[in-house]
Amino acid sequence: MLTEVRSQIKVTMLSIKYAIMRELLNKVTFISNIIFMILNNASFLIQWLVLYSIKDNFGGYTFKQVILLWGMAAITYGFSHFFFKNAYHLSDTINTGRLDTFLVQPKSVYLQAITSDVTVSAIGDILYGYIMIFVTGFTIEKFLLFTFFGILGGISLTAFIIILGSLSFWFSRTDIIVDTGESLAVNFATYPDGIFKGIVKWILYIALPVGIVNYIPISIISKFNIKLLLLCSIYCILIVLLSIFIFKKGLKRYSSTNLMNARV
Amino acid sequence: MRKYLYIFKSKVMSNLQYVFDLAGGMIGYFLHIFVFVYLYRYLYMGEKDIINGYSLNQMIWYVIITELIWCILGGRKLCYKISKDVKDGNISYNINKPYSYIGYVFFEHLGDIFIKGIIFTIFGMIIGFLFIGSFPNHSILSIIVVIISCILAMFISILLIMIIGLFAFYIEDSNPFYWLYSKVILVLGTLLPIEYFPTVVQGILKYLPSYVVAYGPAKLFVSFSVNNTIKILVAQVIYLFISYLLCVLIYKKGVKKLNVNGG
Repeated sequence: MLTEVRSQIKVTMLSIKYAIMRELLNKVTFISNIIFMILNNASFLIQWLVLYSIKDNFGGYTFKQVILLWGMAAITYGFSHFFFKNAYHLSDTINTGRLDTFLVQPKSVYLQAITSDVTVSAIGDILYGYIMIFVTGFTIEKFLLFTFFGILGGISLTAFIIILGSLSFWFSRTDIIVDTGESLAVNFATYPDGIFKGIVKWILYIALPVGIVNYIPISIISKFNIKLLLLCSIYCILIVLLSIFIFKKGLKRYSSTNLMNARV
Repeated sequence: MRKYLYIFKSKVMSNLQYVFDLAGGMIGYFLHIFVFVYLYRYLYMGEKDIINGYSLNQMIWYVIITELIWCILGGRKLCYKISKDVKDGNISYNINKPYSYIGYVFFEHLGDIFIKGIIFTIFGMIIGFLFIGSFPNHSILSIIVVIISCILAMFISILLIMIIGLFAFYIEDSNPFYWLYSKVILVLGTLLPIEYFPTVVQGILKYLPSYVVAYGPAKLFVSFSVNNTIKILVAQVIYLFISYLLCVLIYKKGVKKLNVNGG
């Protein structure tokens, strides 16, 4: 079992390594993609600077906490898009029959279908997240917690997207659901939860990976709480298991197409 | 001109077959508005009724109009298409055709967003009415002026994004420039009106594209005045003229550098 997991991780990392090497063929584009993504994220600081010049508190968040929230959203999004880019195209992979390529290989179909390509600009998102730690005051503890929750959040976000993408095994045109799910997760993750009220707040904490992936980690970084940390970890494990279950259930319904495809 | 109108018409007809595809965009648009309604309600809670010359209702209508223009535009797709045309060499197929590539892409994209524009506008007005319960005061003439300003904003945006797409003649991937452009428009005009910025910055913002492609039409919609109309429409016409000239110039210079291998 352990050897199998190790072998699977090795294949995934090799796949990512080759994807990066492919992207590095054009270094100027590679670097400009990263730098422009950092600038792209940084532009929103202006919006918050203007808003905080009117009011000194938004939904219980200070300016530093809001930009840390932005950093957390950036790192989770970046981690997910960098390591699991293809999770966001899962509907397309299923609908076009490109899953055939992964079925014939002696490795996990689940992992192969979501890795094997990277989004270079996502490195910019990850770096932006870390820059925000320095802007808001660097400490080793904050750095470690931020990294931990960044990885945890990235995995949870990916699992959420896989669940939505796997609906393609049963229904057509689920790409709209995936896009909407991603939109929801990203839009709400960058605004303080305190501004939302009633049922919206419940949705953010239960139906969407926003409350537990973004809001709670920020509160833990501000004031450490082991129970909340365990809650986030358990949530991550459960959502990953749920995504594997739904994917495998759907995979049994998958019927191949005549598409000729090869992984090079 | 007839050939371009034909391109526009064919695209409109083709898009009529894919109206369902708009659902995703409409949900995305609704979500943006939803978040901003909550954000602005929080901003105005316990504060003065008017902040920087805008009431809460005006702010919500402002963001409905600016986001509407932005969502209809589909700029990412346009920039990606031009950048890809240049990178893949597809642009060479258009060089020997009896039309200009600039005109072709411009009218093709207009055709692409025409149906979307009508549906999103109706949807935006419904959302606004549901959240606020009333429309800003307007006469038929002022509504016509707002529509003209919105159309000019679209034309300018398309040309500016085409310019960014054509950067692909000089650099491999022009899409990162589009991200930056989109954020300038978003932060400096779409989410907040320029009156929210410090006075020193406001002077600079009036010369940026965000003034003509986002702030201008939305300002006329939420607070119509003849004085503002003249200022905004004049700025839009100047911007339209300059962006068209720049677009043609960059295309003509860039196409000389074009080197297509194989095909």
